[in-house]
Amino acid sequence: MSKRTLRKSMEYIKKEYIRTRTMPTNWYLSSYKFKFNITHMKPFLEKLKQKKLVGLQCSSCNRIFFPPRLICGKCLVKPDRWVDLRETGKVVSYTVTYLKDPETGEVLERPIVCVQLDGADTSYPAQLDPDIEFRDTYIGMPIKVHWAEDVQGGLMDLEYYDAIEDDSKDLELRKD
Amino acid sequence: MGRQVCIASAGFSEHASKRSDVNMPELVSEAIEDCLKRVPSLEIKDIDAFVNGNMPAFEGSNIPELWMTDWMGARNKPLMRVTTGGTTGGSVAISGYYSVAAGLPEVDTVLAIAFEQQSQGDTSVGLASVAYGEISVMNSLGIPYDQLTLLLSGGAAIGIASYQAVNYMRKSKITEEDLARVVVQNRHNAAKTWWAHLKMPDLTIEDVLDTPYISYPLRYGMVCPASDGACAMLFTTEEKAKDICDIPVYVNGVGSIANETALIGYDGSGSAQLDLSEQLGAQITSDLAFKQAGISFPRKEVDYAEVYSPFPNQELMWVEKLGLFEENTSPEMYKTGITALNGELPINCSGGVNSTNAIGASAMERPAVAALQIMGKASNQVPKTVHTALGHGWGGYVNLITMMVMADEPARKLK
Repeated sequence: MSKRTLRKSMEYIKKEYIRTRTMPTNWYLSSYKFKFNITHMKPFLEKLKQKKLVGLQCSSCNRIFFPPRLICGKCLVKPDRWVDLRETGKVVSYTVTYLKDPETGEVLERPIVCVQLDGADTSYPAQLDPDIEFRDTYIGMPIKVHWAEDVQGGLMDLEYYDAIEDDSKDLELRKD
Repeated sequence: MGRQVCIASAGFSEHASKRSDVNMPELVSEAIEDCLKRVPSLEIKDIDAFVNGNMPAFEGSNIPELWMTDWMGARNKPLMRVTTGGTTGGSVAISGYYSVAAGLPEVDTVLAIAFEQQSQGDTSVGLASVAYGEISVMNSLGIPYDQLTLLLSGGAAIGIASYQAVNYMRKSKITEEDLARVVVQNRHNAAKTWWAHLKMPDLTIEDVLDTPYISYPLRYGMVCPASDGACAMLFTTEEKAKDICDIPVYVNGVGSIANETALIGYDGSGSAQLDLSEQLGAQITSDLAFKQAGISFPRKEVDYAEVYSPFPNQELMWVEKLGLFEENTSPEMYKTGITALNGELPINCSGGVNSTNAIGASAMERPAVAALQIMGKASNQVPKTVHTALGHGWGGYVNLITMMVMADEPARKLK
């Protein structure tokens, strides 16, 4: 570097500043109004009341969305064909959450799974039967919808998923 | 194509969980000071424009760049702000590149700054403010709030990562020990980097595996910290860069591509990414950036890589998806030491995001370290000569990938 340094450095010396003054304040985030279009959800929720499952199919790429979505990002097309789906599906991914029970203080180990229903091309996060040990969860585990006792036409009608018998031949391999 | 752009310098502030000795503008000026120290012939009036960014909700001040104009030396100069969540730094660096490459008159030298002072705010509120607009629709569709928190405690950044980890571990048949090995390498590297946050020179794999789970398979010892810190990069034209620094670093390819959001998806409608470790967005981004840079065989041509890996499974995943290793072979590379400091392809020798994570700055620190490795001025310099390096970022609504490919010579044109 042949040129002479012209710029004067700020000579920031950390020792001179030991602490800053702290001023606690709050941001109130409770008063926002988010907008959603739910027209595409209505037939889906109506069917849930009858304990039936439907997915929305994109007429361009033929992917079936469950839960339905307003737009297919791949084709920029509004999916418009309703397709009946079965109640069975499989686990495509899972994790185990460790939450403290607010009453007892006990740490609960709950598996949370990503479910792909048979016939659908999308997965969504859902809960497993509380009786299933989290160690028994694996990718590819076959499951079946457990309906809530009184269906109200909301996503919680699919209360959780029951495990069903896995009869695939490579079961031991897959559990590994 | 626009002008050839070079990185003339890069600098960092010191990172810590609580920088209580400085406020946000002072933190930023610390990084700028370190950046400009490496180019002593450059005066502050020679910088023509500024690009900056951070993630505002994490620290509660929405237009910090106007607060700290004087501290950046940006008074009466063009100033632009970019925010894209976790990739803010990567997007800021790319915006700095674009500003120079555009070839506007009187805009030759651009200082890009990314910063975050997480101790000032609440990180979980920040994360919620990113996702809440999308997630609250699930609430309106009949999922009670307590159930939603349960589903999403396996959500947010660590939730996505733990699903990715499960998918990746299944595919490549690795154990938690392999994940811990990545962490150990990163923390050891961080111990040799002056600005890094979690410096643990004596960490062992057993220590990592002793810590409790946050969400399976990720443990406390494996996840990134929340840091305060800033990073600055100086972009300029080829001619000026040759004038002011010894080894100008040529930016040869950039990409920032968003894939479909994983897990929650648009309006709570799930995701068509069934295998979360597939990461199509990363593959497309690296294809684009390498094509721009004239690199046909990244496995042979790239000498150094900095990838954005808050969680160890992601580091293994990204190096494969960015085309540096074959599918499912990267755990073996970490075992044999190919990715270590003196290996054939050193990765994250600064300790990576796994050791230092000032959200807004993290994605810029990756190309900044990669550039310094090419210049030979990095804090934890690799012994071999680095000709080509890449810096990668992941974030946005957990679906945006940014990437910058740089070398010590201009891009070869592909025919």
